Amino acid sequence: MASCKATDAVYHVDPPTAAKKVRELFYCAHMIHSHIAHFYALAAPDFVLGPTSDPAERNILGLVAKVGLEIGGEVIKHRAYAQDIQAVIGGKATHPVFALPGGISKPVTEEERKDFEEKAKSLVDFAKFSVNLFNDLVLSNKEYLDLITGDIYTMKSYYMGLVDSSNRVNFYEGDIRVVDEDGKEVAKFKPAEYLDYIAEHTEPWSYLKFPFLKKVGWKGLVEGKDSGVYRVSPLARLNAADGMATPLAQAEYEKMYQTLGGKPVHATLVFHWARLIEIVYAAERLLELCQDKEITSPEVRTIPTATPDEGVGVVEAPRGTLIHHYQTDDRGIIQKANLIVATGHNYPAMNMSVKRAAQGLIKKGVVASEGLLNMVEMAFRAYDPCMACATHNLPGQMPLEVVIYNSRGEVAERLNRL
Amino acid sequence: MKTLVLGLGNPILSDDGIGVCVARELENRIDGQDVKVEEIGAGGLALLHELAGYDRAIIIDAIQTRDGEVGQVYRLGPEAFDSTRHAGSPHDINFATALELGKRLGVPLPRQIVIFAVEVEDVTTFSERCTPKVEQTIPVVTDMVVQELGNDHSS
Repeated sequence: MASCKATDAVYHVDPPTAAKKVRELFYCAHMIHSHIAHFYALAAPDFVLGPTSDPAERNILGLVAKVGLEIGGEVIKHRAYAQDIQAVIGGKATHPVFALPGGISKPVTEEERKDFEEKAKSLVDFAKFSVNLFNDLVLSNKEYLDLITGDIYTMKSYYMGLVDSSNRVNFYEGDIRVVDEDGKEVAKFKPAEYLDYIAEHTEPWSYLKFPFLKKVGWKGLVEGKDSGVYRVSPLARLNAADGMATPLAQAEYEKMYQTLGGKPVHATLVFHWARLIEIVYAAERLLELCQDKEITSPEVRTIPTATPDEGVGVVEAPRGTLIHHYQTDDRGIIQKANLIVATGHNYPAMNMSVKRAAQGLIKKGVVASEGLLNMVEMAFRAYDPCMACATHNLPGQMPLEVVIYNSRGEVAERLNRL
Repeated sequence: MKTLVLGLGNPILSDDGIGVCVARELENRIDGQDVKVEEIGAGGLALLHELAGYDRAIIIDAIQTRDGEVGQVYRLGPEAFDSTRHAGSPHDINFATALELGKRLGVPLPRQIVIFAVEVEDVTTFSERCTPKVEQTIPVVTDMVVQELGNDHSS
């Protein structure tokens, strides 16, 4: 979707409102499927089974065994609803083929709209169920609540996210807003201005660059208002906004901040809670769009007339702000492309989170091996990272090594999963 | 018997696209009402969604094994994939986990799943063509799938 919006900008064309609404409807379904998969397959097992439980059980199979087959069935069914909506609008759920500069390739029919509406209603119920499940299983368990709010998973930073004209979270379009660790707005800018606000540092030990806030400056992998490290993510979006644009999500938003003692929240594991609140918003917004009279309009494309040259498209991807910037020749063939993906924005913070977790979990040379590796991984996994996108390269597996040094700087132990 | 022939892979990553290449060949050769040919660049939960509702699935994909020779083709069942190189995707569950989940949840999975895995050379270079030895396996694997479709292993 970021690419699609970048091509609108490259061709200096504004799609008809119906096209934007259909794109946003598709995009809400996309957020839902991704967030559902992440929470239930990747995050929930840590909380439901416990972070130090046997790895053979600490996965979606163990989760289903513990919470019940029926819930498992609901997860698969609702994720499939979201995928189906994307497939109908986009041609395919994965690698959709409907987006064009100036709009989309075909309108939504009334029959399709009715089907989407039924699915959307079920998705709203499932979203509410998921947030309640988190409440029941996690928040009412003091051990987990302490884990979530504990020091090893807490990190102060700036936060970035897209907001609408009322400073509410919007996945599809808006201005990019940045708040500091106290929640005060420090920047709000149009996507096309991103290079005035974001710069990238490099280190010789990584293919991935380290984005930072230009006006604050790069001070290294350190916290504090003087450090330009910032985060994107569901939690960052909620921190950077003043609220949610739909009622149920807004209620959950208020409850979250009330429970955790105010805004902004710096606890990395709360990314998962925020993710669930976003499923609620995405489902409510999906339903709103399904019931919008314009959603079946046949006017879904404005043919571009300007000569293409350069443009920036930004959306909120499931993991955070996604920037696509293209420069083209006068035929529209891309000559240069700059992508900053969520995992890129988060890279400095991810390194810091993992280090903090490792430092907090290894005391006086005592390492709790398997449980420790998973708890360190939890810090990393909260970001739902895509290293392939961020480095534009491939992972083959998720290697993890924790190197423990003694007080003389010698390697005392290596724990790895390489 | 409703059969799904599924070519797995990324068509712009050299040999990773072998499954997709074979699927595209098969589309030209298969003309049965009970057989659907699809291609997909996804795994895990998405794969579960694709497989649901079919009696039989034939999956074609790339593989890299420790001692394999590029160009070899293996006929495997799902039990061979309890641990795979792609188990580590941070975004999804692996094939074996997805199948097991499907079974436990009563998802109507195919009774029979056959996997044709091609030993490949290069899955990390961006290219729309497979490497030469792997490209040569396309007609071979296509024939194997056509023959498999002619076999009814319903017992």
